[in-house]
Amino acid sequence: MEQFHYLYVLGFIAFCAVSVSLAFRLRVPRFWRNFFIADLSILAIYLNWDYWAIEKGNWGFDSEQILGLYLFGHIPIEEVLFFIIVPLMTVIVYVTLLKIIKYVKEKR
Amino acid sequence: MTYSDIALYAVIFAVVTDLYFIKVQMITRGIFWLSYGLIFPFQLLTNWWLTSSNIVIYSPETITGPRLAGAPIEDLLFGFSMILLTLSFWEFYRARDKKLIKK
Repeated sequence: MEQFHYLYVLGFIAFCAVSVSLAFRLRVPRFWRNFFIADLSILAIYLNWDYWAIEKGNWGFDSEQILGLYLFGHIPIEEVLFFIIVPLMTVIVYVTLLKIIKYVKEKR
Repeated sequence: MTYSDIALYAVIFAVVTDLYFIKVQMITRGIFWLSYGLIFPFQLLTNWWLTSSNIVIYSPETITGPRLAGAPIEDLLFGFSMILLTLSFWEFYRARDKKLIKK
């Protein structure tokens, strides 16, 4: 089961994100459409950087602890998921805080 | 260029993009710093998890040395730039989308 180790970390972040959005009943109109477009920009920037850093040997991955599926030759598929799941968590935290602030202001 | 250089450029790139290119100016908003403060401990936790179990391995020559919760301090700059850009792009595209719907 070692090959799922990186996926567990991603699963943990995704679990937090889903829990928060369910707990606060987030309903943002056209959320997925807007998130998809914003994340494409993030992917375009950070996957380029990642590719370059892996190629130069700045960092690497334990091949035992990842699935072994690669994009563009040497970016592990987990890295691609990382640049989707982490921005998703970021936007959910942001949207939740906006909702809480709005709620507090209306209560006053 | 080492990871230290790149991490620093990433922060500069993110701030310049936010302030001058897409002009969302997310970095000047209190809500951004609140979000960042909330995400920060989770970033430390994930960084620690990924590095302590050697899932991600850093080349010693590419980082300056100091580590926080297992991960090189460069990761904090990297994380900051990504959180800033994510929220900046999110508001940028959402504002454009709203205009589109109104038309």
